[in-house]
Amino acid sequence: MRLKTPREKRILYFKTTLRWILYYFIIFSSFVIMTSGSWTKPILLVPVALLIAVNNDLMASAYTGAFCGFLIDIACGRLLGFNAVILTIFCVAATLVFELYLRKKFINYMVIISSASFLQCWLDYKFFYEIWGYADVERIFSSVTLKVWLYTVISTVILYILFKIINNLLMPKEHLTIEEVIRTS
Amino acid sequence: MGEFLKSTRFKVLLAFLAFLVGIMIYSVTKGGYSLSGASFINTITKPFRFASNSISMKLEKNADRISNADAYYEENLELKRQIGELNKKLTEYDDLLAEVEELRKLVVIKEEHPDSVFSQSAEVMGYIANDPFKGFTIDRGYADGIEPYSPVITPEGIVGIVIEVSQHSSTVRTLLSPDLSIAAICSSTNTDFGIVEGSVLAAENSRTKLIHLDKKHGIKEGDLMITSGSSGLFPKDYAIGTVTEVGIEANGLSAYAEIEPAADISRLRSVFVIMDFEGKDGEEEKEDTDEAENTP
Repeated sequence: MRLKTPREKRILYFKTTLRWILYYFIIFSSFVIMTSGSWTKPILLVPVALLIAVNNDLMASAYTGAFCGFLIDIACGRLLGFNAVILTIFCVAATLVFELYLRKKFINYMVIISSASFLQCWLDYKFFYEIWGYADVERIFSSVTLKVWLYTVISTVILYILFKIINNLLMPKEHLTIEEVIRTS
Repeated sequence: MGEFLKSTRFKVLLAFLAFLVGIMIYSVTKGGYSLSGASFINTITKPFRFASNSISMKLEKNADRISNADAYYEENLELKRQIGELNKKLTEYDDLLAEVEELRKLVVIKEEHPDSVFSQSAEVMGYIANDPFKGFTIDRGYADGIEPYSPVITPEGIVGIVIEVSQHSSTVRTLLSPDLSIAAICSSTNTDFGIVEGSVLAAENSRTKLIHLDKKHGIKEGDLMITSGSSGLFPKDYAIGTVTEVGIEANGLSAYAEIEPAADISRLRSVFVIMDFEGKDGEEEKEDTDEAENTP
C-alpha cells in the first residue's frame, strides 16, 4: 500500500483502530450471548474469529483465533486452551487458503466457516463426550452438537453482513499510481 | 281578559294542558318505564347525543388543558419525581426482600443441618454454553473460601459439586452429569441403597438415574431419595429428588430408578456451597483410625 501524505496516514491509523475496536466489540458481544441463558446457542466466536482472520494478516488472525478460542473455552466450560489451539489453526489455515486459492466471495466464506465450525463441534463432542463412553452418547451428537453447528452456520450469514459493512467502511484500500495500474493490468 | 277566558284559544290551551297532565299521570302509572313516544325519540337521538356529548367532552377537556396547562405541567413534574423516588424505593425493597428470602432459606437449612458450614448465597452467573448436563458457574471462588469438590445445594436439595474454583467464581457440575455419583438411600424404606448418577437420556428431561439398586427393592414412584453420606463427598440426609420411574436394568442384574431432582436445575438463580460438614472426605474414619493407632 502506498501512503502519500501524513493526512492519509492519520486516516489509516484512525480507521484501523476503529475497525479493531469494532471487531473486539463484536467478540465481546458474542461471548456475552454465548454465556446467557440455558438454551442451545450457536458458537458465535468461531465465525467471528474466521471472518476477522481472512481479512487480516497471518499473525493478527492467529492472535484473534487464540483469543476467541480462550473465550469459547470459558463460555463452554472446556479445558482452557483446547478451543484456543483449534481456532488458531483454523484461522491461520483460513487466511492462507483465502490468500492462495480462494476469492473473497460469500459462498467461499460459508463453505470454509461451515467446515471449520463442524470440525470444532465434532472435536468438542469427541473429546468431551464420546471419549468417556457414556451410554447413549450419540444422542448428544444428534440433539446438541448438530443443532449447535446448524445455529452457528445460520448466524454466520448475519455476521458476514456485519463484517462486510465494517470492512467496506474501515478497511484500508490500495493506493496505486497510474503507472502501477497500467503495469499491473 | 274576560274575552280571552271565553275564547276558543283559551279552551284549546286548557285542553292541551289537561292532555299534558294526563300524560304526566299516565307516565307515573307506568312504574319507571318511559312512554313509547319518549322511548322512540330516545332511540332515534341516541347516536347524535353520543356524538355531541363526546365532542362536548373533548372541547371541555381541551379548554381545561389550555387553561390549566401550567398547573398540569407542574403537577406532572412532581408526579414524575415521586414515581422516580418510589421506583428507587421499590428496587431497594426488592433487593432487601430477595436478601431476606435468601437468609431465611439459609436459616432453615442451618436448622436442619447444624453440623454443616455454608457459604454465603452464591448467584448463578450463567450456564455453561450448550452443556447437556446443565453445568453452571457461580459468583463465589476461593476468595470466599470455596474449595473444589464442595457440595452445592439449594433449600430444595442437592444440586451438584464444585469442580473448578477461580478467585471469584466456580464451576459446578450438576447431578445430571454421568461424571458425578452420589450415594443415596430411600427416605421412606431406609434400607434401599443405590448410586445416583446422571445419564445422557435422563438428562434430556432434566432427570438423573439411581443405579446399582437391588432387584428386590421396596422403592416406588414418589419416594424421596436422600444422600446417605457414606462417600464423604456429600453430607448425610440432603434431599436428592423423587422417584418417577422404576425398572430393571437391561443386563437384568440390578434395578434402576429415574429421579427428578428436588431442585429445578435448569432454572437456578442462587445456591449455597457446603464448605464443611461432619464426615467430610472420611474424616471420621481417619480420626477413628488415628485413635486406634494411638491406643496401646
